[in-house]
Amino acid sequence: MSATSAGSHERMRTPWSEFWRKFRRQKIALVAGAFVLLLVVVAIAAPWIVPYDAETYFDYDALNAAPSLAHLFGVDSLGRDIFSRIVMGARISLAAGFLSVAAGSIVGTILGLVAGYYEGWSDRIIMRICDVLFAFPGILLAIGIVAILGGGMANVIAAVAIFSIPTFARLVRGNTLALKHLTYVEAAKSLGASDRTIILRHIFPGTISAVVVYFSLRIGTSIITAASLSFLGMGAQPPMPEWGAMLDAARSDMLVAPHEAIFPALAIFLTVLAFNLLGDGLRDALDPKIERL
Amino acid sequence: MTKAFLHSFAAFALALLALGATPAHASKDVVFAVASTFTTTDPYDANDTLSQAMAKSFYEGLFGFDKDMKLIPVLADSYTVSKDGLVYTIKLKKGIKFQDGTDFDAEAVKVNFDRVTNPENHLKRYGLYSIIAKTEAVDAHTARVTLKEPFSAFINDLAHPSGVMISPAALQKWGSKGIAFHPVGTGPFRFVEWKQPDYLKVAKFDGYWRKAYPKVDSITWRSVVDNNSRAALMQTGEAQFTFPVPYELAGVLKAKPGLELVAAPSIVLRYLSMNTLQKPFDNPKVREAIAYAINKQALAKVAFNGYAAPADGVVPDAVEYSVKLGPWPYDVAKAKKLLAEAGYPNGFETELWSAYNYSTAQKVSEFLQQQLQQVGIRTKITLLEAGQRVEKVESWQDPKTAPVRLYYVGWSSSTGEADWALRPLLYGDSWPPKLFNTAYYRNAQVDADIKGALATTDKLQKAKLYRDAQERIWKDAPWAPLVTEKLLSAHSRNLSGVYVMPDASFNFTDIDLK
Repeated sequence: MSATSAGSHERMRTPWSEFWRKFRRQKIALVAGAFVLLLVVVAIAAPWIVPYDAETYFDYDALNAAPSLAHLFGVDSLGRDIFSRIVMGARISLAAGFLSVAAGSIVGTILGLVAGYYEGWSDRIIMRICDVLFAFPGILLAIGIVAILGGGMANVIAAVAIFSIPTFARLVRGNTLALKHLTYVEAAKSLGASDRTIILRHIFPGTISAVVVYFSLRIGTSIITAASLSFLGMGAQPPMPEWGAMLDAARSDMLVAPHEAIFPALAIFLTVLAFNLLGDGLRDALDPKIERL
Repeated sequence: MTKAFLHSFAAFALALLALGATPAHASKDVVFAVASTFTTTDPYDANDTLSQAMAKSFYEGLFGFDKDMKLIPVLADSYTVSKDGLVYTIKLKKGIKFQDGTDFDAEAVKVNFDRVTNPENHLKRYGLYSIIAKTEAVDAHTARVTLKEPFSAFINDLAHPSGVMISPAALQKWGSKGIAFHPVGTGPFRFVEWKQPDYLKVAKFDGYWRKAYPKVDSITWRSVVDNNSRAALMQTGEAQFTFPVPYELAGVLKAKPGLELVAAPSIVLRYLSMNTLQKPFDNPKVREAIAYAINKQALAKVAFNGYAAPADGVVPDAVEYSVKLGPWPYDVAKAKKLLAEAGYPNGFETELWSAYNYSTAQKVSEFLQQQLQQVGIRTKITLLEAGQRVEKVESWQDPKTAPVRLYYVGWSSSTGEADWALRPLLYGDSWPPKLFNTAYYRNAQVDADIKGALATTDKLQKAKLYRDAQERIWKDAPWAPLVTEKLLSAHSRNLSGVYVMPDASFNFTDIDLK
């Protein structure tokens, strides 16, 4: 597009304003982003939003009650308010998604930088381990890790983090390999900069945009993996209002009280969809290759 | 064009109807949809009630239980016991043949009992019959069984669904392990095929000793693990009988015309056992407080959809010698007071394990968690899967380090008699890994009562001893007794004569399809 050839009369473009200019053109991603923002706000403010305590409130006279004004999403088979549980569950799911991907991306990025910059033995070892991890279908790997570590939400987060590591490592390694032969890196090297400085100051910033895009795409996958593990009974323990666990508990009452399954399922579906659409938007906005096409 | 289409459609529909219509003398084939796969067809080697119930298709025992859990002679005609309670002389019915054409006689009794009491055969039910010292065939129709020590519940053991008569000729042919794939008994149906894990099929045995029985031509036992799928099979008419019906789906099946939902009483007691060796459960006040803190009526409603009743005692009503002592009242104020007296005014934190991980058990666990929270007891729930249950509870070696605290579990006393309801669960010598005393409860007087009752053949004396034991246990509260559940089954209205017995076994002697 012609706008990319900077006109002298325009104000200087910072990378941020450049990003925003491209990103705001993507309406779907904007909506998804707004939804994610709303989720984050809800998750943070959850304790002040919920009308009832998500874990300790119960009303045995309203078992399986359908949605009503008193209970917006209805009541579950143990007399708990589903709306309150979904809202509190947003906290758990988002935290699980963010924490696991954050841990996975940090470790993966470090490994990728090391492998890509030094190549040789460290590269071979790191990449072969990644290949082994890649060989497992995602959920199977997560199940395997949980089986070793034991159940519980913390271990699920660890499992999802581990299963995010290889993708980040490979991504960053690729970028590092390309960046380290660029002139400015060689210039820094010839000026006597240490490996540490080169990696952190000159190469790492160049990989950030790819990591950010992948980070946002990965959160959706991680949320659904964490929810799946809870659905299979390996993650959240009762009475934790985790969406996957709620969906599992609702299964037995599905024919009698479908709302118990619908709301957690919708929550998972919309959240994962929003993160994926947002990730697509970010990729389109941040990836320089797309503009050139 | 449309008209032609409609016509052909009508013709097609008619053809379908014609195919579906039942001719007057069709063979009567019944499909049972059950919740688990069968572990074996050999009742002596089965630990699960379902496999033993299925095996009643082709096997019968010397004694048995009718649909109300009353002891009745089956292949036996009568029996006498010697004064010292050691020698049982059993008269057998005459003219009974095995499905392979051989005769049923006292020699067959000997072969079967010798097989199960031989430890080298490694049969799972060895423990139930190890009391037998020797079995002799006095004549063709009289068997004499000598016990190692007096054991007054022996005939109940023989009536247990595992105590069946297998054809000695078939045992000879297939071997002790192979017989599981080629069962031959005296029962109303002969074995046809077992397609693991989908179904097992049996067909009418024409030489069955009860004249005019069985009244149907075949039964196909289908294992359908998923609750919703099992309910669907009933709704579409693909199965004529199903057990168990999940409590959540009771309403759905009840509303379906052509289906009948049956809620039968059970001898399955659900309770919360507390590890009495460990703080704070070593304090009886804490144990009582927990029993008071739980609303059993609400539990029946929440987890069992109303198909359960608060437990009346430590032994379910339908079991012989059970004493009605409860239900234990629901009283939060009293629970709090007891906790305060015991030194826990603000409650405490502990583990709550469920012996099962299916949906009803999960609901019960979460319900108990809610209830205990009301008195300040915070619990961490773990739903154990079978392997974990064996590892962490049932086979834990050192009682002092046993990690079990609050433990939700159930027990079905399949001999229909108080001994098997008390001894495995509350006898001082029954701590894991031996048996299932998960409360690590020991009361010398209770132990003496249980032992004494076993040794005596005097019914009044037995009743007195069992009453004393149950009252003491109730007072010591090693458990919080919860509920006895109802057994929910469903059958199509044209099927009759199939009953779920109080121990969750089946009785289908009178099965008929209209």
